[in-house]
Amino acid sequence: MKIATHKPDLKELRGGVRVLPAPILLLALSCLLLIVILLAASFGSVPIPLGTIMQILMNGTGLFHFARQWDLTAEIIVWQVRMPVVIGAALVGAALAVAGVLFQGMLRNPLADPYLIGSSSGAALGAAIAFVLPFDVVFGSFFPLTPILAFAGAMLTVMLVYSIARVGGQTPVVTLLLAGVVMNAVLVAFQTLILTLSPHAQFGVQALFNWLSGGIAVTSWSQVVIVGIIILVGMLFALMLSTVLDAFGLGEESAAHLGMHVERYKLLIIIVGSMLTAAAVSISGLIGFVGLVTPHVMRLILGPRHRLLLPTSALGGAIFLVLADLLARVVIAPAVLPVGVFTALVGAPFFLILLRSNKREYRW
Amino acid sequence: MVDASERTKLIAPILLEVNGVSFGYEHVPLLYDVQLQVRKGEMVGLLGPNGSGKTTLLRLVSGVLLPQQGKIVLDGRNLRDWGRRGIARNIAVVPQELYVPFAFTVEQMVSLGRTPYINWLGSRSNKDDNIVQDAMSATDVIPLARRIFNELSGGERQRVMVAMALAQQPKLLLLDEPTAHLDIKYQIEMLELVQRLNRERDVTVIAALHDLNLAARYFPRLVLFQRGIVADAGPAQVLEPHLLKRVYGIDVQVGILRGAEHLSVLPPGVGELEDKSEQEPQSKVFVMAGGGSGERLMRALADAHIPFIAGALNIGDSDHTLALRLSNEVITEQPYSPISPETLEHIHTSLSHTKLLIMCPMPVGPGNLALLQEAYTAACYGIEVLLLVPVLATISNNNEKQLVIDNTCTSDELLLKSGIANRDYTNGEGTKLVRDLLQAGATVVQSVAEAVEAAKRVS
Repeated sequence: MKIATHKPDLKELRGGVRVLPAPILLLALSCLLLIVILLAASFGSVPIPLGTIMQILMNGTGLFHFARQWDLTAEIIVWQVRMPVVIGAALVGAALAVAGVLFQGMLRNPLADPYLIGSSSGAALGAAIAFVLPFDVVFGSFFPLTPILAFAGAMLTVMLVYSIARVGGQTPVVTLLLAGVVMNAVLVAFQTLILTLSPHAQFGVQALFNWLSGGIAVTSWSQVVIVGIIILVGMLFALMLSTVLDAFGLGEESAAHLGMHVERYKLLIIIVGSMLTAAAVSISGLIGFVGLVTPHVMRLILGPRHRLLLPTSALGGAIFLVLADLLARVVIAPAVLPVGVFTALVGAPFFLILLRSNKREYRW
Repeated sequence: MVDASERTKLIAPILLEVNGVSFGYEHVPLLYDVQLQVRKGEMVGLLGPNGSGKTTLLRLVSGVLLPQQGKIVLDGRNLRDWGRRGIARNIAVVPQELYVPFAFTVEQMVSLGRTPYINWLGSRSNKDDNIVQDAMSATDVIPLARRIFNELSGGERQRVMVAMALAQQPKLLLLDEPTAHLDIKYQIEMLELVQRLNRERDVTVIAALHDLNLAARYFPRLVLFQRGIVADAGPAQVLEPHLLKRVYGIDVQVGILRGAEHLSVLPPGVGELEDKSEQEPQSKVFVMAGGGSGERLMRALADAHIPFIAGALNIGDSDHTLALRLSNEVITEQPYSPISPETLEHIHTSLSHTKLLIMCPMPVGPGNLALLQEAYTAACYGIEVLLLVPVLATISNNNEKQLVIDNTCTSDELLLKSGIANRDYTNGEGTKLVRDLLQAGATVVQSVAEAVEAAKRVS
């Protein structure tokens, strides 16, 4: 008959060593994102001072009326050229990071990333088809074909992988991963075939290479708005799944014991995760590392509870990709490097430092 | 000895009812016709060798698997109708081991036990916090609250898992071998904890266990399991050496050690193995059955206290489960397998020590045709062979000739009466063997009572 010697308050426990107060953290990350966005809008082939940017943007809201002391071209550059790209980068980063959290949580696999179960090769095949087709626009003139086919390719492939992996009403994680790997191989073969046989091959290969290395390719606000709506809806759904993801962390059997319809939720997580990935891929090509590393970094700082992990990963991913995109644009300006290069070159060392500095054995 | 609380348990309402449940994976039957009633506040230990289907039974009761036949009733309502959340609010499961890849703290783990009560927004109320706090103090894990679950010792982890289950506020707690990975100290701590929860919080407990001694010490009711329920009673009746030998296939000693209050099960001493077998009454009767055909005969033999050997029976056959309970020795064959040469050899040896062989009206297929051959050999060696006729068969064949079996019957008539033609799935080979058997002197008996009389004569 032992008696508990001390009874610490639960509130005190929750604010443990690893966990900062959630509202403060979210606020800090949001501020950081804002600063990074302003910075990104200010740098470029024509540097525009931060103050000017802020005034232009605040005028844009219609609430403020600063007297214009800047060139009209600056206003056009900020609104029509830089902001769509910067906002696009933030959306893509957030979407990939959230999709990474979803897939890592559902598959209980630290190596899972948004592209794991086929969205990358599906999107790439879609893009390859778009590059070899003789026309490049649909919907009149404002929406290019590539993002649409990439989105469709990613979603179709994931659904195909899911239905292949489904055996007798269940979708075991192992078959899901294997089906994803096999499907990736098959689709890459198709992609190579199309590019080799196509009459526009020369042009197609170069375009596809650029697309595959990743880069925020936004041409208009309408694109950003459409993709943004899909991504925001997806993130809202992901947030609703946070309890489910916590329970999945204990394994599928235990999740079932906690009252979860495991198979239904698995399908829902796959749909939401793939939708986010496909939306991101459609305007950015394949950008690696964001979806893999951001969730890990946030878990190391905050612990694994998904209710906090999901929004902070979204903010973290957005900050990360806006910065990477900024670097890609300014390092050897006026030339633009692929963003994927920077996500890997910056992300990997940062992650490794964090990994090594954590004294205990790494648990994600 | 029976105190007030024990008596209320006997009249407590039934919480869980497992009703004729059968289950198998991919056509391989695992559980056969399981019948079990558990009352509120009971503490039931589930025993059985590896692969006996204990874990499968727990998974069925927790609603993760659905029974292929029969139904499971929780609190008067079919488990299927409760819904996943409804089940999770009533039944909590403590798994054998839990691998959690994430660095959840103990407090976070325990609060996951509230999952079936919170909405999709994941907001937890003060009430939820209090229940989590209460579950942690009941299991003594408050000092561990901020530790990472993965970094705890096995015993601590097990306590956290119980705390998490407790946060579900279950009426029924299922534990799958809760002591499997623990050393003796934690094993005892764990079962003390479960017992305390059972007594103080009136949580009904069903636990699959490997350790017979701990089972005897902590569980007033034990269910011995081998693809079906072999025995269901208190430790004194269930931990019976002959029964354990038949189910686990090993000799054991059961007794009360000096100074102890509870039964202990020990491996036999070196010298004692011989004594045991001499004390055991020699069975003079051999029963061949299968598919439920031997049920009435085996019950009657057991009621008359006539020792008998039964075989060869497949695991999962209802006759096998029954034989484990009633016979002195069971010759066991793997599930749904034909009789192997080794088993046949075993039957041959056993038959050579018996005086009477009773064949029940079992279906004869390629798998067990060898049994008939063996019976024929036995008959040739002068062992009395009885062919038991199914009750229904005698009535249905009753049209012109009266089915009175007497000395004037020809062997063809006897063959007809044995009803073999209706249950022969071997293209006549079985029928031919029965004819041979009859010619070798086997007799047809029409009632179980007659067979029991014959068995009494030889015993």
